[in-house]
Amino acid sequence: MAESCYITFPTTYYAIRAESVLKTQPYSFKMIPVPRSISSSCGTAMRCHCEDLAAIREILLQNSLELEGFYRLEEIGLRVPEVEEIHFDQ
Amino acid sequence: MINDFEQAGNCNSNLYFDNAATSWPKPEAVYKAPEIQMRQGCGNPGRSGHTRTLEADRLVYRAREAVAGLFRVADPSRIIFALNATDALNIALKGCLGKGDHVLYTSMEHNSVLRPLGTLRRDGVITTTLIPCSETGFPDLDFLEEAYRADTRLLVINHASNVTGTIAPLQKMIQSAHRRGVMVLLDAAQTAGTIEIDTGALELDLLAFTGHKGLLGPTGTGGLYVKKGLNLKPLREGGTGSQSEIDLHPESMPERLEAGTLNNAGLAGLIEGLAFIEQTGIAAIREHEVEIRAYLYQQLQAISGIRLYGPADPGSASCIVSFTLDNTDCGEIGYILENNYGILCRTGLHCAPLAHKAIHTFPTGTVRLSPGYFTTRADIDYLTGALRDIAKLAAG
Repeated sequence: MAESCYITFPTTYYAIRAESVLKTQPYSFKMIPVPRSISSSCGTAMRCHCEDLAAIREILLQNSLELEGFYRLEEIGLRVPEVEEIHFDQ
Repeated sequence: MINDFEQAGNCNSNLYFDNAATSWPKPEAVYKAPEIQMRQGCGNPGRSGHTRTLEADRLVYRAREAVAGLFRVADPSRIIFALNATDALNIALKGCLGKGDHVLYTSMEHNSVLRPLGTLRRDGVITTTLIPCSETGFPDLDFLEEAYRADTRLLVINHASNVTGTIAPLQKMIQSAHRRGVMVLLDAAQTAGTIEIDTGALELDLLAFTGHKGLLGPTGTGGLYVKKGLNLKPLREGGTGSQSEIDLHPESMPERLEAGTLNNAGLAGLIEGLAFIEQTGIAAIREHEVEIRAYLYQQLQAISGIRLYGPADPGSASCIVSFTLDNTDCGEIGYILENNYGILCRTGLHCAPLAHKAIHTFPTGTVRLSPGYFTTRADIDYLTGALRDIAKLAAG
């Protein structure tokens, strides 16, 4: 089953900063409205391939970004998907 | 509806010597960008999730990055946008001062500092000590050294006086305050964009700026730099587009100090003003202004009956010269300059009554001439020619 990963941010400022930082990196991603099945402080999330999530997170943290959460969602169209929150060890 | 400005005609028919009030002309792109933003900016930053909202978010981000770049701020989230320098100063003063705090400020401060401090003092929140300034507008550093108390929390410094142009000895004053653990708020209304300000090197705590003077942007733009670790109490609370389920304002910067929709059209223009400054180079802008101020000062010195205020050395002043003409009302000089010569300047107290007391021109005030980056020597020749005529008339 197809799935995507999502990164959420504490504020819009960090969402746009994340976009700006990642623009020069070789990862495909998209800034999208946060799916309602995910809880987030800011309305914009970054969607990426799950296999890139750890590397993207690393780059963002290296650039002093504040990140809120990480999620894996099944891509099942308009139906509400199962959400898995991903936790990283420090 | 007839636009009053269209009726009055183009400012090109005037010679503009009032850049300390608002800069004119602006770079061409500054006029165009707000219109493009309004026509194409169908999105409110931080609200909704559609692509036009993202475009608006990116615009605000670019503006923040550009301001951070100018002031050498490593983390753009520490720049918040406000209406103007007055607004930013209010956010800073009312956000950082609490019951029992003691505040130091100088005679050169503008009413945008004097009045918020006056209200906090009247309401019994703070106590204050005024640092006197010399006849040329320099703060008395010996007095400052003796003025600190155990409860002193903040020193407010006007980077350059809007009356005399006098540049405060920043480094010495900041070091003096920091030695005692006192924070510094810098009012850069007259210097942002024309004099280099490196917040990191200066270790500034708070810096208030306006967008429509030296930054060459539209009115209604400005903001505040807040040093990392300094958490101001918000003056305004409300919509941010984030954490909507909570009935308290978010604590993260920059949203912490920004409530409600920002001035996107104004910020679009501000970005262009900042781009012009970056392309031109702040050193080149300063060099031109120092030269033009020196020429103006020298020309005025040669006119009999004119008294000049502020430092003679153009390196110690922003691009302002204040003067009075013996036995003449300064308001009348301003009136004649505009009506007979098409020259625009500002006369009176310039919202800085204590500065005029320091330079002994209270309550009558001065005539303030503030050329800018676009002022030429020919403009100054025309102005000083007019003033020679007026001085002859006044001498009878």
